[in-house]
Amino acid sequence: MALTDVRVARPEEPKHAPPNRAKFWLYRFDTKTVPYLLIAPFFLLFAVFGLFPIIFNGIVALRNWRLDDPTLTGWAGMANFSALVQDTDFWDALLNTFGIFILSTVPQLLLALMIANLLNRKLRGSTFWRIGILLPYVTPVAASTLVFAIFFSRDYGMANWLLSLVGFGQEQPLDWRASTWSSWLAIATMVNWKWIGYNALLYLSAMQAIPKDVYEAAAVDGAGPWKQLWAITVPMIQPVVLFTVILSTIGGLQLFSEPMLFDENPALANGGYDHEWRTIAQLIYKVGWRDLDLGYAAAMSWALFLIILIVAGVNYLATRRLGGGK
Amino acid sequence: MEFSGRRVLRVGATGLVAALAITGCSGQALEGNKDSGNGTTQVTLKVNVFGSSGLEELKSKYEAANPNVKIALNSGEYNAQHEDLQKKLVAGSGAADIAMVDEGFIVQFRSQADQFLNLNDKGAAGTFEAKYLPWKWKASQSTDGKQIGLGTDVGGLAMCYRTDLFKAADLPTDRESVGKLWPTWDAFIETGKKYTAKTGKKFVDSATNLFNPVLSQQPAGFYDETETLKMDGGPKAGFDVAMKAIDAGISANLAAFQPNWDQGFKKDQFAALPCPAWMLGHIQETAPDQKGKWDITAIPGGGGNWGGSWWTIPKQTKNADEAYKLVSWLVQPEQQIEIFKTVGNLPSQPELYKDPAVLDYKKEFFTDAPTGQIFAATAANLQPQYLGKKNGPTRVAVENVINRVGQGKLKSADAWAEAVKDAEKVAKSAK
Repeated sequence: MALTDVRVARPEEPKHAPPNRAKFWLYRFDTKTVPYLLIAPFFLLFAVFGLFPIIFNGIVALRNWRLDDPTLTGWAGMANFSALVQDTDFWDALLNTFGIFILSTVPQLLLALMIANLLNRKLRGSTFWRIGILLPYVTPVAASTLVFAIFFSRDYGMANWLLSLVGFGQEQPLDWRASTWSSWLAIATMVNWKWIGYNALLYLSAMQAIPKDVYEAAAVDGAGPWKQLWAITVPMIQPVVLFTVILSTIGGLQLFSEPMLFDENPALANGGYDHEWRTIAQLIYKVGWRDLDLGYAAAMSWALFLIILIVAGVNYLATRRLGGGK
Repeated sequence: MEFSGRRVLRVGATGLVAALAITGCSGQALEGNKDSGNGTTQVTLKVNVFGSSGLEELKSKYEAANPNVKIALNSGEYNAQHEDLQKKLVAGSGAADIAMVDEGFIVQFRSQADQFLNLNDKGAAGTFEAKYLPWKWKASQSTDGKQIGLGTDVGGLAMCYRTDLFKAADLPTDRESVGKLWPTWDAFIETGKKYTAKTGKKFVDSATNLFNPVLSQQPAGFYDETETLKMDGGPKAGFDVAMKAIDAGISANLAAFQPNWDQGFKKDQFAALPCPAWMLGHIQETAPDQKGKWDITAIPGGGGNWGGSWWTIPKQTKNADEAYKLVSWLVQPEQQIEIFKTVGNLPSQPELYKDPAVLDYKKEFFTDAPTGQIFAATAANLQPQYLGKKNGPTRVAVENVINRVGQGKLKSADAWAEAVKDAEKVAKSAK
């Protein structure tokens, strides 16, 4: 206030006042407004593609919206949600989602940690290895899943060929899609394959920020590599571990492409003939686009949103505790 | 934190500026129409098809006769194309100018008739109604009489079989004697057992591909006219045949219309396949080197209709007149016969069943089988079923149970109860 008052009130510059005044406004515009202008595109895009769908979904979830029966419309209140509670399909899908989520997230993050630890040592051609483990991540998920779907096929799949080498399934080849455990394993394999390298690189970058003398001191005190990993490395990269756990939780609970394309006929969104591996995201797709019940599908989306919030919160707290809890 | 009105205003204004900047470049929507300069408008018609529509072959002919029209053909997977159409109808834009719709989805789309051009407004009723099989004409009509599509083909039934594989199993190979092997479905399964015992290979591709044709031969399908689920009628008959085939060990249990099934053609994994007319095109395309190794004969259990499509024009189109012009050209006898000859699809206009061009036609790929006579005979005297609104999902639910039996995860004795349970669940979700 005081500064601007003095400048404006200077008596010997009356002629230059208008240009100065313009300059002053330009300056104010530059410092006060331009920052908002620069960050606005993100928030606008978020509003259009993030916030709006969430809110719109919430509204649709409270309505009847059936494409096969346009006459059935209007507010449904909580009817969609109460149907959800009693729908065994939903709970089965939730169980499948969690099963695949645990089978994929736990080994994924542990293996990523091991690999990052290995890569953190002095290796020949370290860049080559580091780029190499990232390759699955840059492969489009549809492409890799289609390859895996053939890999795990019953009659001419490579997985069964490998099993036959060790004398398994020569009589009756394993039908990966027929049992719950085998289908979960196959899908978890696809997820792990894709994300281990990505997580390993995140861990590696965090590890490189740990000062070497901490390890040296620990080694002098007689801590072996295993002890060093768990007592020094993991606590010190804890923020990154937290980040990867949250991201894997979100990704794991929204799992869609892999189970979808694993089906023999993906367009049906079956997740197995007995729905052995149908995830929530897949069920939402099926209810929305095959059963044409958009209101109910929206209610499921919202339920999934809430479940992810809860599980991510629990994981956040658990991981903070795990990483030292100090 | 300062939260004055001015500040809010400023943030809001900033947002507005950015919003204008973003939308500014999308002011002009993409238009397919350009004036070609000589008075007529240049039009690109997007046509979405699945399977073998026969349009690939006719495209250039139409374009040559109508230089102002370009046809952009988009061929895709059967389910995916229908779901895509449904999504574009909800979105209100993006649908093709002409979309091919199959029997399995026509009920779903005719109940959204206001999303489609009512072809009766273009005079379709007067021009075409009398030419079509009456049930084919009705099937694409909404309850209040809007006509959303013009029929392309119907799926009269026959049985395709591999002469070379039959020969290797010491079975007869000419279509007369093969047809006599199976007057009934039970006899068909017995033949399959002989084949499997002799060769160690499977006889049919999948149990669901027995379920569907047997179901379509029954007087009633899943639902009656009051939309009540009737599992004990047609579905039970089809289901029993499917179970018998699995128990007899003659089914290769390949998921029909999927990549492994296509592999099955090439690797001789089965020797017989129930063939609606539209299946011929698929066999030719999947296994072109098996030319002359296939033949066609009568199917056990008599006539039936499985599948068959319509041309529809979504209301979103900007080229309604040109689209209708193309559709009415496509259903003219000349084009229908051409499609019948190139890919095998059977026309849905009974007048053509008497046309010498159809009756005398012999299909070279299928050992010169007289496809015109075979399919025209089945199509002319079939009794069409009423297909309920939930026909598609109900069929998927029952097929899932059949496939579970095929996987060995469910005993055939328990399967029927499971199928009824799952079908009822689908029926109930109709509200």
